[in-house]
Amino acid sequence: MYQLKTLYSSRWTQHLFAILSCTFTTIVTQPLRELVDLANIVMLFLLTVVIVAVWLGRKPAITASLFSIALFDFFFVPPLFSFSVNDAQYLITFAVMLMVALIIGHLTIGLRQNAIEASQREQQTRALYLLAQRLAGAVTVEQAILEVQKFVSIHQQLGLRVLIPAPNEVLVTPAGIQAALSATEMLVACSVFSSNQAIELADESPATLVLPLSGVMRPRGVMLVNAELDMLHQQRALMEAVASLLATALDRLHFVDVAEQNRMQIQAERLRSSILAALSHDVRTPLTVLYGLADTLTLPQQNFPESARETACAIRDQAIRLNNMVNNLLDMARLHAGQVQLRKEWQPIEEVIGASIKLSGADLQCHAVKVHLADGLPLVEFDAVLLERVFCNLLENAAKYSPPNTDIELSVSSDGTEAVITVCNAGEGFPKDKLMQVFEPFERGNAKSNVRGAGMGLAICRAVVEAHGGKIAASNPAGGGACIRFTLPLGEPPDIEPEKEGEA
Amino acid sequence: MNIPEFSVLLIEDERDIRRFVRQALESNGCQVREAGTMAQGLSDATAHKPQLVILDLGLPDGDGVDFVQRLRSWSNIPILVLSARSTERDKIAVLDAGADDYLTKPFSVGELLARVRASLRRSRSGNMLESPLVNFGNVGVDLARHTVTKDQQPVRLTAIEFKLLSVLLANAGRVMTHRQLLRDVWGASHIESTHYLRIYVAHLRQKLEDDPTQPTHFLTEIGIGYRFQP
Repeated sequence: MYQLKTLYSSRWTQHLFAILSCTFTTIVTQPLRELVDLANIVMLFLLTVVIVAVWLGRKPAITASLFSIALFDFFFVPPLFSFSVNDAQYLITFAVMLMVALIIGHLTIGLRQNAIEASQREQQTRALYLLAQRLAGAVTVEQAILEVQKFVSIHQQLGLRVLIPAPNEVLVTPAGIQAALSATEMLVACSVFSSNQAIELADESPATLVLPLSGVMRPRGVMLVNAELDMLHQQRALMEAVASLLATALDRLHFVDVAEQNRMQIQAERLRSSILAALSHDVRTPLTVLYGLADTLTLPQQNFPESARETACAIRDQAIRLNNMVNNLLDMARLHAGQVQLRKEWQPIEEVIGASIKLSGADLQCHAVKVHLADGLPLVEFDAVLLERVFCNLLENAAKYSPPNTDIELSVSSDGTEAVITVCNAGEGFPKDKLMQVFEPFERGNAKSNVRGAGMGLAICRAVVEAHGGKIAASNPAGGGACIRFTLPLGEPPDIEPEKEGEA
Repeated sequence: MNIPEFSVLLIEDERDIRRFVRQALESNGCQVREAGTMAQGLSDATAHKPQLVILDLGLPDGDGVDFVQRLRSWSNIPILVLSARSTERDKIAVLDAGADDYLTKPFSVGELLARVRASLRRSRSGNMLESPLVNFGNVGVDLARHTVTKDQQPVRLTAIEFKLLSVLLANAGRVMTHRQLLRDVWGASHIESTHYLRIYVAHLRQKLEDDPTQPTHFLTEIGIGYRFQP
């Protein structure tokens, strides 16, 4: 079958077949000449022409019709065995034969072409379906691209390269895939990637078609196809289909990746919060026991010598310090993990200041806190629990880094858009080169200072203030001492219906 | 200062915490019964009818709110809650459910005893003021005549301010959540308007405290509510 096809495919053998067919018809019909009317003989020749047209196409059909006319004229039309024609009406017969041959040939060719195209299309569809199947199974970008390259090289003898964006949005060839690009190609690829429109480089040989791989959300890369220009035009629709399949596959891989990352993140988050929860419970329980037992020993009912009581006091104080440190570390971890949900409420800021001063009582034994509130301060929206942490840390720091029996100044004012809070002490001030760093975790103003602390306090203050949309800064005022100033944005406080004034 | 014969039920799963709490209470003359789980605590409370329940919120076998609600269904025994820090929501829930007070771990024995005494006083007086005349600091309040004096000078309070003051006085020493105060003073439809409450507490401080920025009587329990300290 295959050999026969190649035989037919040669133009000369096709014409030879046409001639042979006509000769065969002549030989077969020759004996019938006396029995059958000439018109029917013409029919047999026409049949031959039709068969040749169907079988071999238009040009052999023309050959067959011309040759049939010649044979018919020579062997059947009187005078026999001569090309001259007695009756002019046979000229009409010849013309009709020729016309019929041409028309049939033409129709046949169309049909054959359609059939070939249909079968090609069917093959393409099947191949695309297979490609889609393989792409669906691909687990890496490289694998997907290799599948497409394999498909294109098997089916179309085209060159194909793919570029995908690196994390920094620069187009690169994926790892493990060979593809060299000229500078022009690279430029065009970039412009296709950013515009999401296909571009054809027709001037070069072979020509290049650059197609965008358009994903659902954004382009996933570019596909470059090399071939001769007419081949490229022929295959453009197919290549576009391949590009869209590849884009879908890359999209899928991307979202799988995102889902996987999310899953990992959620797992890490879950681990972190369970560690935090375990720490906050498991560390606090022994601390409570330690603190409570030591505190019991310090009670006057226990008739211990003074030195033992002092030891118990020291154990108790260390336990409470350890507890504060754990609190700070846990707060810091929560704030950094973004786990803290602000429970903002509109409230007067002096309330949290008063509560913080009371809570920091033990640290403020040797210091008086002077609070200055500007008149007419509006309500501020903040999370009171977190802001209490800020004030406690600031007051504790201010007390720690200033000589005993000096005042701590706490003032609040408003400039219309934000509340400004400053906490100042009469200490040495911050080291001049570290005014910014003091807010970093584990950073202490003076590393060699004998004041104890892990350096978490100001870091927590910054995290809380920034979570509220405010700013915090350290400074050494000209008059001496150290100041921390922070701001809280003022909003539109809710209306308060005034109560009718009157004696209760 | 001994606490007169007084029975306490201590519900706490950590043995060493039970130990020092028991020691502190017993050395002050209390009878202490211990329970390691909430279920046992509930049955002990029913069987022995203690005069005070100290409840740890971190018990593995139950929910503090549920315990308080079940106890409150038949009893007014004062409940003192022990809780870890950074669990404001849980604290508010048990206080709203009817717990009287809370202590944050770690706590000192002195604090614990002070709270126990305050609870005892309140339960003795049945949450009612013994006389319409209340004095704290340099402030005198006549609840019957609706008059308030500070340093013998009359102080004018608005109707709401006076109502808030009388609710706080009636619950002296006890933590009142924002919700409870709003319900008692403004009514159930106002329990979300915490800014009103904060503003009126600020008014009371301005009128009655020596230094409103560092109050000694109208104390803020951050994130939870207020406590009036006589």
